[in-house]
Order: sequence, then structure tokens, then C-alpha cells
Amino acid sequence: MARRPPSLLRRIVNYPLDWIEERSGLIGGVRYFLFRKVPHDTNWAHTLGSATLTAFIVQALTGAILAMYYRPDPGTAYESIQKITNELTLGWLVRGMHRWGASVFIILMFLHMGRVFLYGAYKYPRELNWVIGVLLLVLGLFEGLTGYLLPYDQTGYWATVVAININGTAPILGPFLVNLLNGGADFGPETLSRFYALHMLLVPGAIFALIGLHLYLVIRLGVSSPPWSDRPAGDAMPLPPPSRDGARAGLVRPGARRRVRS
Amino acid sequence: MARVDERRQAYASYKEDVQRRGKPFYPYAMFHDTVMSVVVVAVIVALACIWYFDSNEEPGEEGAGILGPRYTEKADPGTISFIPRPDWYFFFLFYLLRIFKWPESVILATIGVPTILLILLISLPFLDRRRERRPLRRPVAVVAGVLVMISMGVLTYKGGTVREALGATAAEIDTWFQRNNLPEEARPGAEFFAETCTQCHTYLGSGSANLGAPDLSAVGATGRNVEAFIQIMREGPGAMPSFATQPEENLRAIAVFLEASKGPGGG
Ligand code: HEC
Ligand code: HEM
Repeated sequence: MARRPPSLLRRIVNYPLDWIEERSGLIGGVRYFLFRKVPHDTNWAHTLGSATLTAFIVQALTGAILAMYYRPDPGTAYESIQKITNELTLGWLVRGMHRWGASVFIILMFLHMGRVFLYGAYKYPRELNWVIGVLLLVLGLFEGLTGYLLPYDQTGYWATVVAININGTAPILGPFLVNLLNGGADFGPETLSRFYALHMLLVPGAIFALIGLHLYLVIRLGVSSPPWSDRPAGDAMPLPPPSRDGARAGLVRPGARRRVRS
Repeated sequence: MARVDERRQAYASYKEDVQRRGKPFYPYAMFHDTVMSVVVVAVIVALACIWYFDSNEEPGEEGAGILGPRYTEKADPGTISFIPRPDWYFFFLFYLLRIFKWPESVILATIGVPTILLILLISLPFLDRRRERRPLRRPVAVVAGVLVMISMGVLTYKGGTVREALGATAAEIDTWFQRNNLPEEARPGAEFFAETCTQCHTYLGSGSANLGAPDLSAVGATGRNVEAFIQIMREGPGAMPSFATQPEENLRAIAVFLEASKGPGGG
């Protein structure tokens, strides 16, 4: 029997996708990402990682908008923050989301880490991803520290002076760290520019790259199943009866339908 | 079978199990992820709204709602009648500085404990190498983790609710003069001190011990002269900020006061 030619709609949708796939292989990559198998018994606790990612994306977007209006200069920084908050259309929303998003991001990182710890998901072969996670945690906290100075109000200013001094008490590295953070021997006008560059370029760039690596490893190694999974890894178990749950949404790749169990 | 082979085999059978019984990421896991992400964004927007509509344009206390002010006063390197306070997720470190007493162990709180925690955190997967993942069968790891979480929670709470002394009152200054037998010429210095230094230093029970700052009630008994105290204020030892931007005569007045402070019964 001859195959029916694909409908016009299908051809319109598929043509650009095929065009890109032929030249980059990216569509295949996205398909792999979307349709890769995850353990059948993952649960809500497994969403904390992607929730953290969402919070980070909120920070990146609102931060980019703030950067368009903020002035990293000791004389005008405070006024530019006041203007963003009180005068700019929806400026308060962007700044408020950035400010509170930072706390949400940090809470979510801790919760996600707690989930990974509780599930023992840091064990073989995921040790490396745990280490990357700890680096992300440290960089995330450092983002909070550098961002705190930027409004250039009394709270941020004095907290930063003290935080830099505390770094200075470290043995051997102390004076070096102080110099690096201050942009000179003492807290001065350079310090604000330096914190700005760290806060909006260097540290987020590093976080971005590490998140990429983190997710690469998650996809490559697979998300671990809960430790109380009904099938302790390694034991042979008969296949579960076929289920048609997967057809419910109508979105599943046809070949996968029969094997799905939700 | 060697342990290495054992865990390799366990991982291989995990992979196989996921292939056979797993569900595709889209739409199942992705559905949960999307719902959670929407909740996260909604919470962030809600916080931003509460913060903004419950505060006003005034800086500091006057403009503050339940989520705090929009900003405090503009930074002024010349004043320090201000409590240096980090954002809440550093409160546990902040409070740690009150527990460790100056001078021997302050370094433990500033550098020691955080470094040790970080090293332990990074090396966790290399310390705990058993294959067992069920929490109830990892009592040591789980109890240790819960203890760390509780203590960080308690320290964060305490750091957030500590009593802060915003300057000592005139009545308190009077008791300093009686108990410490201070000469009248120390009066101006005592007033500057009450305004700027009691944020971190205690003095005869006034002030709050922040950042591990030592009690200064008897600092004049340590044999240092006025010039030495001025030098200390200029430099800002350890976590203490430098007061080099303050006018010379203020620093000198404070130094006179410090030098005269020999502790109750002394002098
Ligand atoms: C932000 C907190 C803070 C403020 C404000 C502060 N100090 Fe300090 N101060 C400290 C800390 C912390 C130390 C201990 C430093 C160290 O580790 O050596 C210290 C140490 C000192 C010492 C040395 C004590 C000794 O016995 O060696 C003197 C003197 C002193 N401060 C005086 C002052 C005076 C005077 C003021 C007000 C002008 C002041 N401090 C304001 C935090 C502060
Ligand atoms: C910027 C911050 C972070 C982002 C965006 C992020 C994102 C993710 C995502 C999306 C996953 C997939 C599974 C899941 O959601 O649970 C994951 C897994 C994982 N994360 Fe993170 N993470 C971050 C920080 C951390 C931290 C702080 C740690 C621990 C120190 C960590 C350790 C791990 C480990 C070990 C896994 C594998 C878990 C498994 O396979 O079950 N991550 N991460």
C-alpha cells in the first residue's frame, strides 16, 4: 500500500525543522532531551533542580533590564536605584523580582541540595555533579554578596566593608583577597565598578557555564530513582504489564506509548 | 566481586531498568517541572508586589513594610552610626562571630568554620562511598545532615533576631563615668563612641557584641597611648572598618576616652 503523502501543515512545520536538522543535528538533540527516559517513579522533589534553574533565569532576565538603567558609579548609583524603583514604569517590579528572586534562588539551591543529599543521589556515578553543585552554591552566594553593594545604600555599603575585612583575616590569602575585591588597598570608587563587573558578568557567566555542565551530566547519567524505589538496582524483575497511560496526553512519541508506565 | 564492579553493574542495571520501565521526560517529568516553575515565578512576583506596595519612597525604617524598606540611606563613608548587616542567608555566619570570642578564636568563625564546612560538603561523595541510598540505612549521614541543617537554621534565626544596640543612651554614658571613674575630658569621646562604636563593641554592658568585636570597658588598661588608639581606628583591625575618613579631632577624642577606660575599680 502506498504511503499517504504528508499533509500540507506537516510539510510546513517539518521543512524548516529538517533544514536545521540536516545542517546542525540540533533537532535530534532536542528530541533526545525531551524523549529520553527518566525513572518511572520520579516525584515532585525531583523538580527542585529545574525550579532553581527557573529562578536563575528570572535573575538573568531581570538583571539584564536593571543593567540598562543602573549606574555603577558611587555618585549616582543610589539615585539610579531610586529612579528605577519609584519612577520607571514597572521598574519596581523588575527590581523587586531581582531582589526577592535572589532569596528564592538561594533557598531553592539549598532545598535541591537537601533532596540530592536525602536521596543519596551524590553517589557513584554522580560524584562529579555534586562537586559542580557545590561550586554553584558558592557562586550563588557570592552573587548575593556582590549584588548587596550595588544599591549603594548604608546597609549594603557597611555590610560590604565588613565582608571584605573578614576575607582579609584569612591566613596568607587574606591581603590578596582584599586587594582583589576592593580594586586597591582600600574600599574606594573602584570597588563598586569591580563588584558590578563581578556581579553581572564574571560570576553569572561562570554559573551559566557550570549549569550547562551540570545539566549535561544529569542527561548523560540519568536522574536517579528514589532510593526506596520498588526495584533495588541490580535485582532482576519481570516486566510490568503494558499500560496505555502514555497515550492520555496524546503527545508521546508513538513508539514509546506501549512501554510507558506513569 | 570487587566494589567497583558491583557499583558498575548496579548502574548498568539502573540504566536498563530506566530504558524498560522509564517514562519519557516529556510530557511527564516536564509537566511537574513546569508547574513548579510557574509556582516559583508566582512566588517571586508576589514577594516583589508585597515589598513594593507595603513600603514607600522614604529610605530606611520610615519607608519599611513587612518585607523591609526599598533602600536605606545613601552610603556615606563618613558615618558609621550604622549596623553592618548582611543579607539573611549570611546571618548564620554573622551570628557565628558572636559565639566565638575575640581574640583567640575569631579566626575560627570568620575563616575556620566556613572553610571546614565547604571542604566537608565537597568531599561528601568521596567520604560516603557505600552504595546504600535509603535514608534510614544511612543513619550517620542523615543525622549529621539534619544536625547541620538545624544548627544553620537556629543560627540564621538568632542572627536575624539579635538585639541590636543603636548607640548607647545618655543615661548609659553617665553610668560609664561613675563606674569607670572617667575624667570629664573623656566626655566628648564617650559620646562619639556611644554613637559609632557600640554597634559592634560592648562597653560596661552597653552595646552589642557584633562580628566578634572585643569588649572595650578596660581597653585603657592594656598600656597603649592615645596615638596607638588613633592608629587602630585608622587601620580598622580584622573585621573592623577603617575610620580614617573621620575628622582627626573626633578620633583623638575617642582615643582619649579609650585610654581613660581602665575598667571598674581601675584608673
Ligand atoms: C563593624 C564593627 C565594628 C565597629 C563599628 C567598630 N569596631 Fe572596633 N573592632 C571590631 C572588631 C571585629 C575588632 C577585633 C579585630 C581583630 O580581630 O583584631 C575590633 C577591635 C578594636 C580595637 C582593638 C582592641 C584591642 O584590645 O586590641 C579597638 C581599640 C577598637 N576596635 C576600637 C573601636 C572604636 C574606637 C570604634 C568606633 C570608632 C570601633 N572600634 C568600631 C569591630 C568594630
Ligand atoms: C544553580 C544551581 C543549580 C541548578 C540550576 C541545578 C539544576 C539541576 C537539575 C535540573 C537537575 C535534575 C534533577 C533534579 O531536578 O533534581 C539537577 C540534578 C542534580 N544536582 Fe543540581 N542544580 C543546581 C545546584 C546544585 C547544588 C547546589 C547541588 C549539590 C551540592 C547539586 C547537585 C546535583 C546532583 C548530584 C544532581 C543529580 C541528582 C540525580 O541524578 O538524582 N545541584 N540539578
